[in-house]
Amino acid sequence: MDSVFSQLSVMGSSLVLIFGLILLWRRGVTAYISAFTWQSAVLSGVTALVAYFGHDHELYWVAVALFLLKAVVIPRLLRRMERRFAAERELEPYVNTATSLVISGLLVLFGYAITRPLVAVSQLPTRAAMPLAMGLVLVSLFVIVSRKKALTQVIGFLMLENGLALLAVLGTYGIPLIVELGVFLDVLMGFLVMQIFIYQIHETFESIDVEQLNRLRH
Amino acid sequence: MLLGPPLLGALLAAAVKPYRRFVGWTNALLSLFSLGAAVVLWRHVLAGDVLTSGPGEFLRADALSTLLALCVSLVGALAAWLGPGMGGDDGYDGAQARRFRIFANLFTLMMLFAVVSNNVGFMWIAIEATTITSAMLIPLHVTKESVEASWKYILIGSVGIALAFGGTVLGYFDFVNLAGHREAALNWTVLMASAPRLHPQVIQLAFVFILVGYGTKAGLAPMHTWLPDAHSEAPAPLSAMMSGVLLAVALYAVIRWEAVVNAAVGTKFTDDLFIAMGLLSLAIGAFSLVIQRNYKRMLAYSSIEHTGLICVGLALGPLGTFAAMLHLLNHALAKSTMFFLAGRVLHRYRTTEIRGVSGLLTAMPWTGGLFAAGMLAVIGLPPFGLFISEFALFRAGFAVGRPWLMGLVLALLAVAFVSMIGHLNRMLYGAPAAGVAVGEGNAWPLVPLGLCVAALVVLGLTLPAPLRALLTRIVEIAGS
Repeated sequence: MDSVFSQLSVMGSSLVLIFGLILLWRRGVTAYISAFTWQSAVLSGVTALVAYFGHDHELYWVAVALFLLKAVVIPRLLRRMERRFAAERELEPYVNTATSLVISGLLVLFGYAITRPLVAVSQLPTRAAMPLAMGLVLVSLFVIVSRKKALTQVIGFLMLENGLALLAVLGTYGIPLIVELGVFLDVLMGFLVMQIFIYQIHETFESIDVEQLNRLRH
Repeated sequence: MLLGPPLLGALLAAAVKPYRRFVGWTNALLSLFSLGAAVVLWRHVLAGDVLTSGPGEFLRADALSTLLALCVSLVGALAAWLGPGMGGDDGYDGAQARRFRIFANLFTLMMLFAVVSNNVGFMWIAIEATTITSAMLIPLHVTKESVEASWKYILIGSVGIALAFGGTVLGYFDFVNLAGHREAALNWTVLMASAPRLHPQVIQLAFVFILVGYGTKAGLAPMHTWLPDAHSEAPAPLSAMMSGVLLAVALYAVIRWEAVVNAAVGTKFTDDLFIAMGLLSLAIGAFSLVIQRNYKRMLAYSSIEHTGLICVGLALGPLGTFAAMLHLLNHALAKSTMFFLAGRVLHRYRTTEIRGVSGLLTAMPWTGGLFAAGMLAVIGLPPFGLFISEFALFRAGFAVGRPWLMGLVLALLAVAFVSMIGHLNRMLYGAPAAGVAVGEGNAWPLVPLGLCVAALVVLGLTLPAPLRALLTRIVEIAGS
């Protein structure tokens, strides 16, 4: 029973990580949005899985809220923005695709290295998947610093949040529900404010390329 | 009592549309209630109480919370009294004043909530919410610069704070492994009680995430890059709140976790991290001051420098923590006053370039005088409070046997000192540029600012007994 659960959680987490890696080799925001949507759906599935095997009914609610927020509402808002800025594509990131993939591989390895004490301490059947969550956190950070479009950076940020949510659910079977709901509210508000700013950047700079944001130096 | 007034203020400002002047005035009066509540809290804490309320000790105020609540409500009150929409020509229209009133109140509310929340999860939520509410205020005047600053701020701030969430999760993970699921497991008091049995490596990893995460908000180098942009482009009252107390609230979160980690693995681990980050921030702050051409950015880099100094102080044993906390209070007073004054200068000269400002003492004698006094306070000259706290910090450093570290800190402070004196000279003297009106104009905002400078002088001459008692209790809490 536990070994089935363990394998399923590792498989789900690997999928979550792979959807994160798509940002590195696909071009075009449409692909990124689909990757994020699928990633969130799988993450919600992993949460429900932990709820089922861990006999924690609160987690079902978290899974549902997560699905509604990150796989339905936010992707819809993202698509609306994407249509507005349809002409703009992520063309040349600061780091090219091959190097990006190598760096991400190293980051995932690094994720394994720093989570070794966690895996050693934990008794939970989900512990084997925790390094994957840490890997996603690090890869998302890399995406945020290496991409030029404001919209891509936002998707990187949302994936970072997904990585942390995955880490929380694998490592602790979920943080207390009330805190979780507060976190969801913050994610939503933060995303809405970022959306406002992207529209403002578009209005004042007539592009959402953050390379133009270089007026403030020193 | 503490949290009610800003909430009411925000609701009122949101309900009244279009903006009317009475909203600003009600807001200003309400802010005094918060300040009063913080003072009452102070008295209770000195009597030895720890106030808790709500289900599961949801809210909890000890000495550390009280110091922060005092600073936040004080600067919040200054911002409410001196903010836009109090009448007169302040350069903001009604819609901007309304927006300011809504979000500034929410910003204050979230900072107060962060420091009195017992649950470290809610503390995180509140601090994340400060990013969102304050970011909404940076582009109050939409320009290319302010849009750029707000984008950098929200992106870097959110990413940093997300990492702090990772640290919180790891800390919780450690606790759950130890004690299983418990209702109040994210309560700081519960974490503290079980800290000695936490797994050392896990809690250390958690603290690295916490320090990088909240350190981003606190403006610690090398995650400080958003800070000069946001502080220089934000409207003056918001810069004052961000520089004076937002950085302090982020440090507060670090100190809460530091106490847990110290109880688990001893103080050496956190001390080393604090010294490394503190020194780097000091160095970057000090050398960036040399090349500054913009006086608001100069003040912002000075904030980075002071945050670094507080961070170093936290690593210097009980005496150092005492000095660091005193410095935090002094810095909140001095830097918020300076940003308000800088706002007045900007309003008159219409430029943020140091070169563009000359003859400040002729054009605005009182503002100029206070600006000079505040600047001398910021660079740590007697008879101002920052001199005393820096002096105490050095004494603590020598007491724990770190003379080399102290020498390095002193050298960096000297760099900051020399460059800021130079900039100040350029601004104060000479003849005002043609077209700059001479005379104070609307002078009443100078009264509260003058009082702040006077308070700094008082803190520089004596250390009042209630304050000393409060700081002593904080040192016990931080456990360093």
